[in-house]
Amino acid sequence: MSSNGKLPQKRKLPQLPENEQKLYNLILSKESMGIWTADMKKETGLPNNTVTKALKSLQAKNLIKDVVNIHNKAKKFYMAVEFEPAKEISGGTWYSDGNLDVEFINILRDQCRMYVERFKVATIENVWQSIRDSGVFNTECSMQQIKEIMGSLVLDKELEELNSTGIGDFSRIQPGKKCYKRYKDGGNPKEQGILSSIPCGVCPRLTDCTPDGIISPKLVFISINGWTSRCQVS
Amino acid sequence: MEITGSRIPGSPTERPKRRPRPKKPRDGVFKQVRFPHSGVFAFSCFSMVGQEGISFAVLLMTAHFGDIVAKVCECLICRGSLTFHEIARFTELPHGQVKNSLLVLIQHNCVQAFSVPKTVGIGGPSRVSTLYMAIFDNIIHRMRFSKFHHIVKKDLGDQCAQLLEGFLQHGRLTFQLLYGRASELSGGKAKQVDVLSMFNKLVHAQYVERCPGVPFLELKSDDEVSSARKRSKSEETKTIEEEAMIAAAPSDADRFSGIIDLMTDSGAVTNDKEEESILEVAAGNKRKHEVLEMDEEIQKTINTNEILWRANYEKFVYCLKKKACVANARSRFGDGAAIVLEALMESCDPNIKNLNFVTSSMNSILEGVRGKPGGVSLTLEHVRAILEQLGCQLCTEETGVLYSIVLKDIIESCKNDEAESLILKKYGKEAYRIFRFLTKTGRFVHTDQIIETTFLEKKEAQKILWKLWMDNYLHMEKLNLHTGGRSEVFLWKVHKELVWQHVLDYMFHAALNISQKISEKEEARQVSVGNAEAEKLRKVRYILEASLLRMDDAIMLFHDFST
Ligand code: SF4
Repeated sequence: MSSNGKLPQKRKLPQLPENEQKLYNLILSKESMGIWTADMKKETGLPNNTVTKALKSLQAKNLIKDVVNIHNKAKKFYMAVEFEPAKEISGGTWYSDGNLDVEFINILRDQCRMYVERFKVATIENVWQSIRDSGVFNTECSMQQIKEIMGSLVLDKELEELNSTGIGDFSRIQPGKKCYKRYKDGGNPKEQGILSSIPCGVCPRLTDCTPDGIISPKLVFISINGWTSRCQVS
Repeated sequence: MEITGSRIPGSPTERPKRRPRPKKPRDGVFKQVRFPHSGVFAFSCFSMVGQEGISFAVLLMTAHFGDIVAKVCECLICRGSLTFHEIARFTELPHGQVKNSLLVLIQHNCVQAFSVPKTVGIGGPSRVSTLYMAIFDNIIHRMRFSKFHHIVKKDLGDQCAQLLEGFLQHGRLTFQLLYGRASELSGGKAKQVDVLSMFNKLVHAQYVERCPGVPFLELKSDDEVSSARKRSKSEETKTIEEEAMIAAAPSDADRFSGIIDLMTDSGAVTNDKEEESILEVAAGNKRKHEVLEMDEEIQKTINTNEILWRANYEKFVYCLKKKACVANARSRFGDGAAIVLEALMESCDPNIKNLNFVTSSMNSILEGVRGKPGGVSLTLEHVRAILEQLGCQLCTEETGVLYSIVLKDIIESCKNDEAESLILKKYGKEAYRIFRFLTKTGRFVHTDQIIETTFLEKKEAQKILWKLWMDNYLHMEKLNLHTGGRSEVFLWKVHKELVWQHVLDYMFHAALNISQKISEKEEARQVSVGNAEAEKLRKVRYILEASLLRMDDAIMLFHDFST
C-alpha cells in the first residue's frame, strides 16, 4: 500500500548543467502527476539521447525517480523525489508498485466480513473501530477505505446495506442509521436464480440451439442430472 | 487514458465475426454505440414481444390447436390487428379454415374482435369493418393452467377447481354448458343449485368473469382503419387495440356479479346495456353496409345472446404476483416480513384494476397477521418495523392511517436478482460485481470509476465490460474528449428497460427449447420398447415440465408482473 499527498520538502539544489536544469524544472513543475519521457522531449525540444542522458544523471543525483503509471505500465514516467505519485498515476491506496494490492484487499475484506458477522449488524464506524483496535495491519486504514471495502462486499451480496429499525438485531443501532448485515442466504447468490437452476437456463449453447439452428433442441441428448441436466452435443 | 481507433485495450483479439465492431466516432460527440445487435421486436396488444416470445407462442398454439390455427395466430401476432380478408391473404389459407381458426381462437380468448367504421374512397359510404387482434398474454397464459387450477384448489377447494377446469379446457362457456359438463362428470349426480353456488363463489372471488363483447369503436373523422392501426403508443394516446380492450370489457359490476336467479339470468336476455347498445350499433351498421359474409358468421357465433363466462386471467396473475412478492420478502427480510406482506396484500380491497399499489389499515393487517401460522408472535411494534423495512408509505385518509406499498418495486428487485444470477452464472463473479454496480448506479459510468469501485485489474475489467456489451447486457457510449480525436473515454450503463427485454427474450428462447425437448421425449416414449426405458423417459419429461413451469415463473416476473 502506498501513501499519497506527501508535502515536498525544500532543499538546496546542486549546480546543474543547462539541459539537466531545463529537464528538472519541467519534471518538478508536474508535481505529483509526473511526466512521460515522450512529453518531455516534446516540451523541451531536446533530442532523444540528451534527454536519456540527463534523466540518468538526475536520477543518479537523487533528484528524480521513475514511477509506474497504472494506466500504461510500458510508458516511462518521471517525478521529482519530493513528490509521491498522485492517485491518477499510482491508482490510489489500493495499488502497490503499480499493481492492485489483491492480498491486502482480500485480508481487509475478510476482516470486515468477520466483524459484521460477529456483531450481526454493524455500522461502518463499528467495523473501522474494530479493525483499528485489532492491530492486524501495520498501517492505519482510513474510514474511506473501509467504506469502499464494505461497498464491494455489498456488490458481491455478501453483506446487505440496511437502515436500522432499532429493534431486534438492530437494537444497538440508532433507528434510521445505515448499517450492514450478512446476507440472509449467506451470500450465495448462485442459489437465487431460476434460470441458473434449470436445463437450458444458462446453457452456453443456447444462442446456437434453436429448432432450425446449428444445434437443435430435439436432436441433442439431455442427461438426467437432476434439475441442472445439460445436453451432450455429439 | 489513451485509446486510439475504436478498439478497447484489453479486449479479446478474436471476436465473433458476425458481430459488428463499433464504428469510429465523430470528434467531440457521443458515439452511437449502444447495443451491438438488438433483436427485432413485434408489437402485440399492449407490450413489445421479441422474436423468441412470438416463436414460443406459436409453438404453444401448434401444440394446443394444430398448425392451421397457429398460422392464423402467428399472422395476427406479427402483423397486429387485421381484417378477415387480410388474414386470408397473408396466410394464404382458404376462407373456411380462417373462419374456423378465428372461432377457435376467440372461443379460447386468444383473439379479440372489434369493429371500426371504414370509409370507402373520399367522401364515400361508411362501412363497418371487423378487425381481429391476437392477445399475446392470453396465449402464453395457456401454459399456466396448472398453476391457475392449483390456486383455486387451495383457495376454494376441489369442486370449484373442477368447475374452473371447464373454463380452462373450453374457453368461454354459458352457465348451462358448465352445468352440463359438471353433470356429465358426476354421472348426473351434480345438482344445479350446488353448481350455481360454486360458480358464484368463483365469480365473487373474481376467478371467473363475464366475457367481453365485440365493441364498435367510433374513430375520429381522420382515423381510418389503416391509420388507426398505426397510431403510436404514447402517454396520452392509446393504441386502437388498447381502446378496443377497454371498450370490450363489461363494467366491474357486471363482470363479477355472478348469477342471482337462474330463471332470469341463464335465459336469452343480456342485461348489459352497454353491450346491447354496441351490438345495436354494430347490427345497424351491418344492415346499412356490406359486411363480409365470413365476418358476419363469426360475429353471429360470438354475439350469442346468452351470457358467456371465462377464467379471469388478471386475477390469477395477481395471485402469482403476490406469491412472488411474498417469496422475495421472505428471502430478503425473513418469515416475519413474508407474513406481514401477505397480510397486507390480502387485507386490501381486492381492486384488481390497480395491481401495483396495495393499501390497508394497521388493524386489517394485524388481523391478517394473527390469522397466519407464525403470525401470533408478531407484536404491533414488530409489524410496524417490518412495514417500514418493506418500504411501506404512510398516508392519512378520512378512515384513518393507511399503509401502502408499491408492488412494482418488489418486482423490480426480483428482476434484478434474476438478471444478476444469470450474469453470475454465465460470466463469473467479477462480471456480476460490475453488473450490480451499474444496475445500482443507474447512469453512465466511466471505466475508471468502475475499476475503482469493483477492485478489478483494468485489463480484466475492460474484457468483462466488452463481453457484457457484446451480449447486450450493457449500454456503451464512447466520448471523444479532444477534438483532435486522440483521447476517448468509454461510459457504461445498464439500460434496464432494454436489458429486461433482452433477458425476457432469452427466457422465451430457453422455454422454447425446453418445450421442444418435452415433445421429443414424449415422441420417444410413445415408440419406446420396454417399461424401464418408458419410465426413464417419463422421469426426464417430468423434470423438463417442472423446469418449464419454473422458467415461466421467471417469464412472469419480466412480462406479466410489470403492469
Ligand atoms: S443444448 Fe440442450 S440445454 Fe443447451 S439450449 Fe439446447 S436443449 Fe437446452
